[in-house]
Amino acid sequence: MITQKIFAVLKKDAITALRYHNGFVLTAAAQAAQLATFYYLARAVGPQFRPEGMPYFLFLLVGTGFYAFLLTGIHNFLRAIQESQQTGTLEVLLTSSTSEPVLVALNAISAFGQGMLQLLVYVSVGFFFFASALHANLGACLVVFTLSILSAFAAGLFAAGLQIYIHKGSAIMWLLGSCAWLMSGTLFPITALPRAARVVSFCIPFTHSLTGMRLALLGGNAASLAGEIGILAFFSLLLVPAGVIFFSWTVRQARLNGTLSFY
Amino acid sequence: MDSVVFENVHKIFRRGSLPFWRRRIETHALRGISLTVSRGEVLGLLGPNGSGKSTTVKLISTILLPDDGRVQVAGYDTRNEGRRVRKYVGFALANERSFFPRLTVRENLEFFAALEDVPRPEFAGRIETTLCAVRLMEAVNKQVMKLSSGMYQRLGIARALIKRPSVLLLDEPSRSLDAAACLELWNVIRAMSADGITIVLATHNFEEATAACDRVVLLRKGELINSRKTARANWRELREFYLEMTSEQTVPALSMEVPA
Repeated sequence: MITQKIFAVLKKDAITALRYHNGFVLTAAAQAAQLATFYYLARAVGPQFRPEGMPYFLFLLVGTGFYAFLLTGIHNFLRAIQESQQTGTLEVLLTSSTSEPVLVALNAISAFGQGMLQLLVYVSVGFFFFASALHANLGACLVVFTLSILSAFAAGLFAAGLQIYIHKGSAIMWLLGSCAWLMSGTLFPITALPRAARVVSFCIPFTHSLTGMRLALLGGNAASLAGEIGILAFFSLLLVPAGVIFFSWTVRQARLNGTLSFY
Repeated sequence: MDSVVFENVHKIFRRGSLPFWRRRIETHALRGISLTVSRGEVLGLLGPNGSGKSTTVKLISTILLPDDGRVQVAGYDTRNEGRRVRKYVGFALANERSFFPRLTVRENLEFFAALEDVPRPEFAGRIETTLCAVRLMEAVNKQVMKLSSGMYQRLGIARALIKRPSVLLLDEPSRSLDAAACLELWNVIRAMSADGITIVLATHNFEEATAACDRVVLLRKGELINSRKTARANWRELREFYLEMTSEQTVPALSMEVPA
């Protein structure tokens, strides 16, 4: 039954995306502009700047591409909750036979699925320009990717729970996104941050997602890669159950207080 | 066996719901409601705005949970066995934005059928039966954004019926429907009742209450003030009874002078 539900969600999203013809073109144009910006930024900085031992353009591609994928996923997740509150779909979904955690997981699949196309464009451009520089460990890439999605899913659960409980999920999301953009090594290596900020940076799962993905793509130091994977696994183990419990609790509170569709 | 049972149910809405928030505003929406609905019965909830009709419907659907007392559906308690209750209850919400507008009627129903654990091989048959029941078969391949208000209402009911519920909840189902569409909808409701589906319907419409319901309960300020069978009653009698029981003032008839 769960595969049937996953298939139904993916089919719904695919049909909706295909029928918004202009959406594809606009997204592709926006991505092309963003990639051109990174390319010329890297050229302006010069080839001598090689953060974490890789060309700066590749550093930016992996950092912003993966960061945007994870953050867009969390944002889509939150937006789905907000929109379904506004339209009344949340009440319809929460009276269905599907349990709340499964509904939430399906929402996450939908949310991250929408960012997948963008990520694929970034990866393709990376391979096009730097095929010789890449020594990707595909297994490690997949592990980092999966663990990163789990951490992002947990962050999405907290944001969605806060949206239901205090109706301010967007504000939390904005704060989280800005901090992560600054501190997770998206545009520059975290070694450039002051020591105190580096401690905060270490506590953000995104930091380890980006570092782990860069190491996996470049065939970097195995011990460092294993360390990043271990930290991501720890975050996932800790945050996913906490997120599910928090989200279920906020939904029950909303059922009791009659605030399920408040926004 | 009774399909729906309310035992001394109280529902209080709280705003400013953070635990440390001192200035909580509380609204007592239901005050000790007790009622039962038998299998296959169509129960109408009548009452002025804010009387607790929608709250009653939402308590059956588990969208809301009672603060005190007990709500049971098919013998299951909504507070502790919400997931079991949801297998039996269909809530027809017809808000046009609660569907996926770019998807067709069939695609929308397939999505909700999957969420309701309908086995995949049964999708086509269920959708056809359901759409025939609500007389919407001709729109099966139409994108939902191109439907009329009446079609949205019927699609809302179809969505609720796709899981074959034993209790169907309708909140003002004839709102925004023309006279012919209303009559058609009431016939659909009677037919579903004849098939053994219990229906709870919140309405302001006396004609709907007499045409579609077996019994109406009158609510005022969260209290159940009376209950009566609708058999052989006409809607004007019911309106007089309602005005008498709720102490609402009749709106004076406007003079409709036509200019020469």
